[in-house]
Amino acid sequence: MLSDGEAKELLSFLTLEMRADVKGQATGYILGLTGNRDGCRYLQSKPDFLKALVTLTRDPSIAIVKDCYHALVNLSADETLHQPLVKETDLLAILFQNLLDPEYMFADRICSILSNLSRHERTCRDVFSALQEQKIGLDKVVEIFCTEGFNKKASLHYLGPLLSNLTQLPEARHFILDKDRCVIQRLLPYTQYEESTTRRGGVVGTLRNCCFDCSHHEWLLSDAVDILPYLLLPLAGPEELSEEENEGLPVDLQYLPEDKKREDDPDIRKMLLETLMLLTATKVSREIMKNKNVYPIMREFHKWEKDPHVISACEKLVQVLIGDEPEAGMENLMEVEIPKDVEEKLKELDTKEQEQMEKDKQESEKKQNESPEGLER
Amino acid sequence: MAAPAQGEDSDDGIDEFMEKFKTQKYKNAFNESNWEEEFDKVPMFMKTAPKNIDPEKHPDLACIQSIIHDDDRTPEEKARSLKDEGNEYFKEKNYKKAIVSYTEGLKKNCMDIELNAVLYTNRAAAHFHLGNMRSALNDATAAKKLKPDHIKAIIRGAQCSMELRNYAGALQWCDEGLGLIPTDKKLQELRATADKQKREAERDARKAKVKVKKEQNEKEALLAAIKERGIKLLKTKPSRHRGSDSEDDDGGASRALADLELDGIGSQEATGAHVYMDEQGVLHWPVLFLYPEHSQTDFISAFCENSSFMDHLAVMFGEELPPWDSERKYQPQNLQLFFEDPEKRNLYQVDLEKSLLNILQHQRCSVKAGTPSFIVLVSGSPFSKQFLSGKKVQRLK
Repeated sequence: MLSDGEAKELLSFLTLEMRADVKGQATGYILGLTGNRDGCRYLQSKPDFLKALVTLTRDPSIAIVKDCYHALVNLSADETLHQPLVKETDLLAILFQNLLDPEYMFADRICSILSNLSRHERTCRDVFSALQEQKIGLDKVVEIFCTEGFNKKASLHYLGPLLSNLTQLPEARHFILDKDRCVIQRLLPYTQYEESTTRRGGVVGTLRNCCFDCSHHEWLLSDAVDILPYLLLPLAGPEELSEEENEGLPVDLQYLPEDKKREDDPDIRKMLLETLMLLTATKVSREIMKNKNVYPIMREFHKWEKDPHVISACEKLVQVLIGDEPEAGMENLMEVEIPKDVEEKLKELDTKEQEQMEKDKQESEKKQNESPEGLER
Repeated sequence: MAAPAQGEDSDDGIDEFMEKFKTQKYKNAFNESNWEEEFDKVPMFMKTAPKNIDPEKHPDLACIQSIIHDDDRTPEEKARSLKDEGNEYFKEKNYKKAIVSYTEGLKKNCMDIELNAVLYTNRAAAHFHLGNMRSALNDATAAKKLKPDHIKAIIRGAQCSMELRNYAGALQWCDEGLGLIPTDKKLQELRATADKQKREAERDARKAKVKVKKEQNEKEALLAAIKERGIKLLKTKPSRHRGSDSEDDDGGASRALADLELDGIGSQEATGAHVYMDEQGVLHWPVLFLYPEHSQTDFISAFCENSSFMDHLAVMFGEELPPWDSERKYQPQNLQLFFEDPEKRNLYQVDLEKSLLNILQHQRCSVKAGTPSFIVLVSGSPFSKQFLSGKKVQRLK
């Protein structure tokens, strides 16, 4: 890496007052560093460089600002950079202020950075606190997210994953699930948003997180929110159902046209099934789901689905939907106490199932390259 | 006027003036019999104002009215009192008059934005109650333009959109309002209703589409079945294409069937019945039997293509003969049936033992207006001889 002297010199080039060409070269070099892990790790211990990068986002030259944001996106993809970035610089303040500007051309980069930073709980808290401190609040984020064309130069799709990440915090969930406001209702239609898998995935992730807490299930399934159709629609297909079956379905699922497509992305399909599964935890919500005739949708879905992981999730859900009610004392499936030996056996079965699925998957993907998960760009 | 203390002398003649009342009636007093009526005419004591103020009948009221609309005041003051006037009319549910007042208020073009926004909003409410949804919506929009945080205007806008069945628009209004006051219950309620109705309307549209598609498929299957059997359909309307026989293209399918449905049957029994295909794929036709001798007709609403003519005739003329058969000669074994070739105007005799399908498949047989029709004559009768003379008749061998 750089010697102390070189580093000092480079740092001196990274100021707003510096000549444009020198500044440009310097930021270009930093960007290069952030392109690989070693470079990132080096910068982790150099808060001054991080500060300089953040400051230069205010540079009048668009080319420089672009490089800075690019570098920040790369840095934010590395977890070890999270605390230095939020604690040593005023990055969050700047990001949020600019996010609110409907003309800001780097808004999408901002969303990526925020989405990365909020991935793990610790920095996620910092992000959430900054939201409050900047007097923006989660409701402004949701509003921007749900306003079509808020920023003509940016799609803001990555606000989806940001929201999803934020809801790992109970405070964020509390806000989204506020009965006195209209927040979650505005997010629901986006489970079907065709133009962006990122946005869809973010919303579904948010909904899933919100369903972990049983106390809200009845409200979520009631007319006040009516979450069920929005979870089922991406899983429903064009297959014709009988008039009887149609009339028993929720309104949004009735008489679907011949060109109805199911959710493309298997991970999102799996998340949807997991969310539905979470909703079957209590007896009351199980009843509601059974009465809303969810089964035919799952039946057709099961015939169509090819991915073994997703099929497995589907089967688990169907089991609960058509299986007998558990005995008294076991109504809340999340709180049932599983005896040790049964737990062992179940774990064993799970492992075996996993192994089998891995085997199947490997065989079918022998020659395919798997894109690495995780690091954003 | 304080009464003078007893016994005090006053030099302005008050005492004498007062004394007079004890003995004399004053002029222009109210009559004992009509004092209530008279009271009602005094502006101060009126219970309700007359609908129109005629300066001749109510000069004092007319005066007061002109004071209200005095030109000396500022536009704001005038607009304000017009607003108040409108509000009064509104309270009385006199919405038309309220609208007039609000409109006058707006015409003053005063500088008070808040006041103008209120005038628009109130006028919107008046229009709303009269059922003029579009006008109401326009006014709500104008109010919101002046004052984007005017919640009443936003709520009104949402309500109008709902009435106009623009549910997506209603949702937009609600979301805008909730952006200002996130916890407003009325807006949340409106939003939930708008959302629900929107989704129901979407479902209804989908359902209708499915129904149309189904009907379309049935129609196509029917026409295909008819074509497959080699049965010729004759259109009653002049065709855009050359040749008037059974259709090939899509638009033609519904047109042909529309023709089937249209004026298919001329007799009184016509109930819009048309050919249909049952679950086994068998066709059933509406069929007309014509009895030119007595100018009568019989309408069979669903003649199965596999049934023979004799099957029907045996029943129709079996037990009882029709009332118009004065000579009692229309017995099944005496009957002869013919169909007419419309092009060449020839008549072809029908073998009564044959099925309807068989006859319809005859080269020269075609179905006019979706209803096969047959002429019924009594064999050897004078009328029959007369009827058939001069016509080219193809008899059974």
